[in-house]
Amino acid sequence: MERAANIMAGRFISSIVPVACAIVGVVIANFPISILGGLVPPALLVFMPLYFWAMVRPDLMTPFWAFVLGILQDLLSGGPAGVWAASFLAAYFLIDRQRDMLAGLSGVGAVAGFAVASLTACLTAYVIVAIYYWHLPPAAPMLLQLAMTVLLYIPGAILLGLVHRRLVGPYRSDF
Amino acid sequence: MANGTWKIARNRSGAQLPIALLAALAIALILIGKAQNPIFDRARTTVTDWASPVLRIARAPLDGLDRWMGSIGEIFSVYQENLRLKDENARLRQWRNAAVALEDRVKRYQLLLRAVPDPKLSSVMARVIGRSNQPFLQTMILDAGKAHGVKPGQAVIDQRGMIGRIFLAGNYTSWVILLTDLNSRIPVHIEPGNMQAIMAGDNSGAPALDLLSQRVVLKPGAQVISSGDGSLLPPGLAIGTVVGDPASGYRVALLADPGASDDVNIVDFKLKTEQPPATTANELPATAAGLPPAAPPQPAPVAAPFTSAAAPVKAPPAAPTSPPANPASGASEPPASDTGNE
Repeated sequence: MERAANIMAGRFISSIVPVACAIVGVVIANFPISILGGLVPPALLVFMPLYFWAMVRPDLMTPFWAFVLGILQDLLSGGPAGVWAASFLAAYFLIDRQRDMLAGLSGVGAVAGFAVASLTACLTAYVIVAIYYWHLPPAAPMLLQLAMTVLLYIPGAILLGLVHRRLVGPYRSDF
Repeated sequence: MANGTWKIARNRSGAQLPIALLAALAIALILIGKAQNPIFDRARTTVTDWASPVLRIARAPLDGLDRWMGSIGEIFSVYQENLRLKDENARLRQWRNAAVALEDRVKRYQLLLRAVPDPKLSSVMARVIGRSNQPFLQTMILDAGKAHGVKPGQAVIDQRGMIGRIFLAGNYTSWVILLTDLNSRIPVHIEPGNMQAIMAGDNSGAPALDLLSQRVVLKPGAQVISSGDGSLLPPGLAIGTVVGDPASGYRVALLADPGASDDVNIVDFKLKTEQPPATTANELPATAAGLPPAAPPQPAPVAAPFTSAAAPVKAPPAAPTSPPANPASGASEPPASDTGNE
């Protein structure tokens, strides 16, 4: 009985860890205090756990969670509602279609895969904002954000891999 | 990052909502947001109100680091910058003397012309507790909200000039949309010449000027001030100077630096209907013409016409004495005599 309870608790923790990591990423990235004097926009920290677990544990990082995280990003970043939600879903669609290929990448290839998915999200956001305001926003801040996100994914992926191995783990039937 | 070593759980979650459905929901949210739905804004201000104590505490230790990192690019030009500032300071001292003399002269002219005074502005001082530099939005968060009388639309200025406008006001915090932001569009005047334009932010450091007249050629260095058109902002707020040329498009070099401002003023401007000075008995046309004012109406209908008709007959003898004591007639004359004095 006690063992069953432990297993249930473990499953619950492993199921909330990916989303919890993404929420922490949203909060940190949108904390309105800059330590770089506003020189570069903050990285899309929320996208790292989203990409990572949408690729390796899509049962825990579902499109619904991509939508919710996008709404949170919209809420805290101050932008129009729905922009990042739609962008994350577009990236999720790409990940979902190319999961085998993306998950098979390693090293620089894995970073490149993440960069493509991030570019999809950023490009979608850019197009939506351009239509929303009927005005082409400058591309440089978005490209800087993309560069920061990809750069930080290198240590981020190591950290996420550690969390995945320790707390989340593969699907139980994969053992 | 050896992603290939991880096993993938494929399509095992039966509870996934279709991506297309969620995407449609996101697009619906965007459209609702475009229609100025306040629900999202309210949620945003609630979150900021709730997080404001944390922001205040977290900001203090990071302030110094933020400034140092922000000015890291200027380290190599400190000497040239110092020389330029000394030169500018010397020129500004000369301008200050001229400004004081001109201000005094304008005050005298206003007194002579009995000009309607500018509406009084009150302001709320607030501290910047957050800055957000997102790719599509540049904002600041202030520690003053509705509880302090802050309302959306009010102008935010620092010691140098205008920074932006309040676009969201919570109870204890408010969000400022910067002049450089993509969504910022304000009517401005360009001096000299009193030319009108719309200053539009595009997330670059210098907002663009959309001139209302296409034939106008501006001089670099011309002053840009708020026009007050539309009664949204107070007129005359310093904003910046014109840079650029007709070929590449005019832009505004802003006087204020939102990245360096810690304390700002939120200007409360409510345009009142312009009222001329109250008319006194001496300013009535009859009095100005040297006639005594009409008598109040009499209760008896027969006596009234007789009395009022009789009044003008007696008026001429009083005429020589009334004009000297009549400020209304002096309203047009004194400027001539006073101008002569000057």
